[in-house]
Formats: sequence, structure tokens, C-alpha cells
Amino acid sequence: MRIGVFICHCGSNIAGTVDCAGVAQRAAAYPDVVYSTDIMYACAEPGQDAVIAAVKEHGLTGVVVASCTPRMHEPTFRKAVERAGINRYMFEMANIREHVSWIGKDVEANTNKAAELVRMAAAKLRLNRELKPKSFPVTKRVLVIGGGVAGIQAALDAADAGLEVVMVEKQPTIGGKMAKLDKTFPTVDCSSCILGPRMVDVAQHPNITLYAYSELEEVSGYVGNFDVKIRKKATYVNWDKCTGCGLCTEKCPSKKSYDRFNEGVGPTTAILIPFPQAIPKKASIERDYCRLFNQGKCGVCAKVCPTGAIDYAMQDEIVEVKVGGIVAATGYDLVDWTVYGEYGAGRYPDVVTSLQYERMLSASGPTGGHIKRPSDGKEPKDVVFIQCVASRDPSIGRPYCSGFCCMYTAKQAILTKDHIPDSQSYVFYMDIRSPGKGYDEFTRRVQEEYGARYVRGRVSMIYPKGGKLVVRGADTLMGGQVEVEADLVVLAVGGEAAAGSPALAEKLRISYDGYGFFMEGHPKLKPVETNTAGVFLAGACQGLKDIPSSVAQGSAAAAKAIGLLSRNMLDSDPQIAFVSVNRCVGCRKCIEVCPFKAIREIDMRGQPKAEVIETVCQGCGLCNATCPQGAIQLSHFTDNQILAEVEALCRF
Amino acid sequence: MSIQDELKSAIMAALPDLSCVIGWGPGPEPLRAAPLFIRGEADLEGFTAGFLSVNNPALYLPSLKGSKVGIVAKGCDARSVGQLVTETLIKREEVHVIGYPCGGVIDVDKVAAGLADACEPGEVGALREDGDDVVLDTPKGEVRLAKKDVTADKCGRCTFPNAENADVFVGIRRAPAAAEDTYADIAEFEARGTEELKAFWEKEMSRCIRCYACRNACPLCVCRDHCIAASREPHWVSQADDVPDKLFFQVIHAVHLSGRCTGCGECERACPLGIPVLKLKRALSRRVENLFGYKAGIGTETPPLLTFAIEESTIKERDW
Repeated sequence: MRIGVFICHCGSNIAGTVDCAGVAQRAAAYPDVVYSTDIMYACAEPGQDAVIAAVKEHGLTGVVVASCTPRMHEPTFRKAVERAGINRYMFEMANIREHVSWIGKDVEANTNKAAELVRMAAAKLRLNRELKPKSFPVTKRVLVIGGGVAGIQAALDAADAGLEVVMVEKQPTIGGKMAKLDKTFPTVDCSSCILGPRMVDVAQHPNITLYAYSELEEVSGYVGNFDVKIRKKATYVNWDKCTGCGLCTEKCPSKKSYDRFNEGVGPTTAILIPFPQAIPKKASIERDYCRLFNQGKCGVCAKVCPTGAIDYAMQDEIVEVKVGGIVAATGYDLVDWTVYGEYGAGRYPDVVTSLQYERMLSASGPTGGHIKRPSDGKEPKDVVFIQCVASRDPSIGRPYCSGFCCMYTAKQAILTKDHIPDSQSYVFYMDIRSPGKGYDEFTRRVQEEYGARYVRGRVSMIYPKGGKLVVRGADTLMGGQVEVEADLVVLAVGGEAAAGSPALAEKLRISYDGYGFFMEGHPKLKPVETNTAGVFLAGACQGLKDIPSSVAQGSAAAAKAIGLLSRNMLDSDPQIAFVSVNRCVGCRKCIEVCPFKAIREIDMRGQPKAEVIETVCQGCGLCNATCPQGAIQLSHFTDNQILAEVEALCRF
Repeated sequence: MSIQDELKSAIMAALPDLSCVIGWGPGPEPLRAAPLFIRGEADLEGFTAGFLSVNNPALYLPSLKGSKVGIVAKGCDARSVGQLVTETLIKREEVHVIGYPCGGVIDVDKVAAGLADACEPGEVGALREDGDDVVLDTPKGEVRLAKKDVTADKCGRCTFPNAENADVFVGIRRAPAAAEDTYADIAEFEARGTEELKAFWEKEMSRCIRCYACRNACPLCVCRDHCIAASREPHWVSQADDVPDKLFFQVIHAVHLSGRCTGCGECERACPLGIPVLKLKRALSRRVENLFGYKAGIGTETPPLLTFAIEESTIKERDW
């Protein structure tokens, strides 16, 4: 083999603490290395051209580039060597930036380590073999998980592009958090007026199949051909028969059920249609509150239903669909703010969350759009808003800024003035964060035109006093303590990843961060991709964001899915397991450990042997590590290749 | 009827449906029995099941796959059968297990120590069990040794003296020697500390002659001719006669058996140089038991290290 080694300076990123020319010089002496040089920016066009020129000039059959992480530029250099006429797998990358120059300042030690990493890469490259991808057909259908505004946007864009879309929504209706909002900032236009038509589009689009009140049960398969199992939870109402007339909800005697859609502002019935614009507009029974299920007798809804849609014997149903791509748009939940004793820990009925307040403001909400104190139903005059509740607070493990609370608090203060002209709003804040088109103007307007009093400081306690709530806090700008006697306190509660996000991430085989938010492929360059091919992210599940950003990411995720599925065939990754049949003893251990069910037992002249299903194998290497006799190996990462690296490192 | 005779009738009763029954028969010398493959009544001559029935007959089952085979099994042998079945290395319906209450088996090395200067174990003319003692005929006259002093270590911590998965059980079930395996021996051994253990194993492995008797005696080492120790592709272990390579092989052997080893001790018993290789396997078994609550060869659950679970039910990774 004729190996060429290229040591990248990455400007001063690497060259600042690594003697790149020295590494190149040492690498020249490594086995099979016939050409070695250092290079300013290997990834730039002149750098890639230099690699290609060297391949041709020196007849190289393998290339090592020592630069940044392979996550960043391995695809770049693989394409470059391919352009030079070498198989893309006859290339190895040594990471001397993230693993060397960025983490140490000692030039001598760094140079030694860089040289060792290059030696390892060259030693492995000597055992590399040409690999060629195979192609396989794709299923032109997208699964969208979550029917909030991000998921709706992704579904509509993908469906308009001609793809079939399957949408799965956990709740009985789509719409997500946006459907609960009264108005949206900074234009103060009606949330359901702009979202409602989109929801209807989802219901009516010929390419979209909606599974509401359903959850993802299982995902298997791989990019282009995922096999998805969806659990349609029992609604106890046959939705084919239900017309959404609402007669059942009027007659249901169990009128004290928790109203999930209205955030518990007022009770609801056990059989319900969440809100008038619900999509699908179908009734479902909340089993926990239904008298028939809990006391054994009732059946009123079944008696009044004009179409006989009620089916108490309904069971969960599993639906299987095949999709080519998946968009996760599972959104967020509000943090449980009752951990805060200073805000009453949930003891005071007149301390409400921003989403509860939103439902009070909404004309279709339980109060008919009239702001009422939950305790006595009176109209409040003095309303205190407290920002950064469960945001920017390391003490409860939520150190991040939720991003949207400053804006929605400003909006709610404006709406409060609109609803109750003689009211006075107070906003306790830490900082006003309003970057965005028209956002800062909006937060100025609430103070200057609507007279909301902004107090920069934290609230230390809330206590009841004669039917009012005294809010005591610091005013750090005035340098003193303030007390406000409030009729109503609205907490701007921050968001966190939706409940069950980690479990879903594991089903989708994508990563999630310490807060449960799904990890994007790259924070800047791959904001909607994940590290699992064919799985994309939209909306707050990737990190909290407001409506415009969620919609934009929904479109972006759809664009990625459309791009992926615009091809009829996809190339499979050849870095997969293969079985050396003469070493295999058919012990089945690989079959047991394979998370993808990619290995099956075959009969070869009466002997059991393992066989890899090439399109299913993801190249994780578990089988390889388990096989006692090393009969199953991972292409491009064979035991001998790893051992060559180990030996290159441990020569003494 | 004695246990021997009862076993013989059980064997004869089962034999028509079986290609053979594996038990124990006369060995190369009076202190050692050898595996006996019984295909007819004539083969029962010299059949023995008792103090000398050391070998684990489950060893032969994977190679006899495809025909129904009977085995006479001690409790530990039956665990090997159970483990082989669990791993689908053999089929349960292809094995007929004939169990009997095992009272422990001989450790010839201990006999040698007990004989002291009287003679070599190979020179013993006959062995006779007499109550709690064994009486050995030696060229220098009779030597009487307490049975418990010449019984294998594993029998002292035996929790399954009766073949639990037997199709036919002969005799009366015996109470186990210990309620549970506490791994006290391993805890004590490991307490010596890394440096001392390293020196211990380097010394022990310097004696290893790489005969692979340990591997060949292991009923769960089914790779046989395909063992990684003899492979160039992949080339994990060199053929060099040096301590690191020999210890590396022992570690590979132990790792391949982690969560699978039933502690039958055949590896250590087969070692011609008396290297205590079972310690390595027991050290791992102890960890597997602690981490996963798994005992090999008892239930029908797949060994924990041979499964894929996103989250282990016994390891609360999220709480770390």
C-alpha cells in the first residue's frame, strides 16, 4: 500500500499547539507511508486539490488526513479521495483538533500525541479494504410524531410535496400548545384563527393519515424503510360513527373530570371533545373519570348517542405502517412549578400558570374569555406576573432560559389591559430577552403604552392577606424591597422536554441531552437532522423555541424528509457486519444481542450459521464484540484493524 | 436396590429411545473414573456413579446434537445441561437427564497431599468408601483419609447436589452442602490487592503449557476448533510462549464464560499443572450475580450479557 499523510493546521486551531510539520516528518517514517506533508486548511478547496494532486503524483492507494473530528469532515475527505480515484473507505482520519490541540497547551506533548494518532490511523488504513455500498428502494412515506404547530407544518409541507404522511398525536386532538393560546406575540393575532385552518388542512389533506390519541409503540428498520407500530389508545368511542355532535358531553354526569386541554381551569366531563375546533372533532372517554368504568353503572353517553358510537369494550389497537423518514415534533411541557415554596407550592388558587391564564383569556376557554380569580370568580384588578419560574434556575436542574416567557408575559400584560381597562399589571423579571423581529418593540410597548410596571428582581414570597396575595420581592434597580397586593399572580413557567421524551428517543435510537431534549446532528450545521439517518427534529422537542421558529423548523424538517425521499433508491452503508462462515459455530449469540434483529440463522449443509441481513444491519458492532470466536466482524472496524491501532499505540 | 442398580435400571429403561447414555466407568487408574458411553447392557459393566464421578458428561452433548442422548448427571452437570439448553446450544428434547443425589466427588490432588510419602496417587491399588472415610490400598499398606479432606472444593459450596432438571431422578434428594454460594473464597482472594494478584497470576501463568485442557474440558466452550486462541483472522492472541499472552487467553476464556459459567470446575480439574483458573471465572460469576442477579444454568433466562436491553432492569443507569 502507498499511503499519503496530510497534517492539517486548521489555521491556528491545530498549528497553535501542535508542530504540524514535525508530525508530518515523523509520519513519513511509518510503515507504507510514501508521502507526508502539512497543509494549511485540508478541507478548503486548495487543500482538497492538494490531496487529489498528491494521490495522482505519488500513486497513493490510501490517504490519512489528520485534522478535526470525523463527524465534521470525514464525508468531505471521502468524497475528495473518491474524486482522486481511490475507494472512499481507503481513507482514515486522525482527530488532532478536538482530541489534541483544543484540549492541551503543551506543544511537545501535543505533537507526540498527534503523531501517535496518525500512526494509529495509518496502521488501521493498511488493513482497510475497498467497500462498496449497495442500493435499496425507499418507502415514500413520512411519519410525523406530534401534532403541534411544528408537526402540522412538517406534515403539510411534506404532504404538499407529494409524500404520504402519517401523523401520530398523543392527545385526542392535534394543535398542541399553540391551540391553547389565546393570542400570539408580537402581533397579538388570534392563535386559533391562524392555527385552526392548518389543523383543518391536516384533516382534509388526501396525503395525510392522522392517528390521534395514539402513541408510538415501536420502531424498527432503518432509513428509507422504518417499520413503525402505532398504539391507537382506546377512546371507547367509535370514531367512524362519531359525528362530534357533543350530545354525550352535555349529558355526561361525571362533571368533575380534570380538563387537560384547559389546564385544569374548571372541570369537564369524562366524555369530551377537547375544544370546539378540535381535529378530529370526536369524543373520547377519560377512563379514570368515567362512572361506568369506576362505579360499574351509568352508560348515559351510550344511551344518548344518536349514532351508537359508544363502545365500552374498545381495546387499544396496534397499527403497523412502513415509512421512509420520521419527523419527531413532540414539543414541550411546563415544568412542575409547585416545587417552589415561595410561590405557595400550589396552595393558593389565585396563583396560576401562564398557560392557565391563557385559557382564561381565550373566548373558547372555560371562563368564556373573562379573567376571573379561581378562588372567588371575581375580576382581578392588580395582576402580578413573575418571570423565570423554573427557568434559569440551576437549583432545580433547569439552568437554561426558556426563551419565550418574556414575550408571552408582555403579551399577557397587554391582553390584561385589553380585557380589564382599569387593571394594573406588574412584571417581576430577571432580564428582558426579546431578540426577534418586532420583539423588543413589543416589550417596550407593554410598558410605555399599556403601563405595565416592570420590576427587575426576584420574588421571595407570596402570602395571602385578606382575600389578596401579597407578593414580596426585590427591586434591584431601586435597591429596595417591594410589596404588591395582587388579586391574581401569573407564573411565567418555563418549559422542559415533553414527558416521555427520553423513552421516545430510545425507541427512535436518537440522542437526548441531560434535560430530555433531542440532540440535533450538529448545533449549527445540522439543526434538524439527528445522528440517526432518516430521523429529523422539528419544534421544541429539540430545544425550547417560539412559534415562528417551530414553524420554520417544521418546514426545514419536511424539506429534509422530502430531499431524502425524493430518491427512489438509497445507498446502504457498507460498514456493516459480515460472517466468516467457516469460523461460525452457529451458537446464536449474535442473534440474541442484535438490537436490530439484523442477524438470522441459516442452514448451511446441515450446520447452523449466522447470516447478516445487510439492509437491516446498522453496524453497531455488538455482535462483533459478543462472538466468542470472532467469526462475525464489522467491515471497516474489524478486530484486526482495531488491534493494529492498539498495537500502533502500545509499541513498547 | 442400591443407587447404582437403580441407575442401571433407569439407563436400561431409557436406552431404547436414546443413541447412548453418558455416565462413568473404569478409568486409567483406581482413583479416576472415565466417561462411559453406554449403548447396550454390556456397556454397563463397570458403570459407576458416586465419589469418583468427577467428569462432567455434559461436555459431550453439543457434539452429539441431532440425536437424543441420555446423561447421568450430578447437580453441577445438570446445571451445564440447563445452560446449554438456555443458550440453544443443545435442544432440551434431545437430552434425557437421569439424576441422582450427589454427595461430592474426589479431588485427586488432595488425595496426593493426604498420601504424603506413602505413594503417588497412581500407585494406589484400590479405593474403598467406609463411612466418613476413604480407605486406600497403597504399596505401604492401607491409608485412611477423611472423605471431607479429599472432596473437591466446589462440593463444599454446592447448592444444587440434585439434578434439578432431571427427567428421571433416582434415590432420595440430598440437602445442599451450602444454602448459597457466598463467593467468600473469591472475596478473600481479591482482597489481596492488585499488585499481589498480578504477581500471583504472572507466577501461575508462567507454568501454563498452553495445552488448552482447561478449554477442552469446559462444557460451555463450544467453539472448539474455531477458538479465538488459534486464529490469525482475527489475531487476538499470538502463539508466543509468554506470560502476557497466556494470561490474555485465560482472561478471554473467563470473559467468554461470564454469565455462562456454572462453576463445574472442570477447567481447573483438567489443568495438568494445577493452575487455579476457576478463580477467574468465579470472580466474573460473582459480579454477574451481583449486577444482574443471574445464576447460570438454573432458569431459562438468556444470560444477561447475551441480550440487548436499552435499560437493564437491575441497573439503574439513570440514577447514576
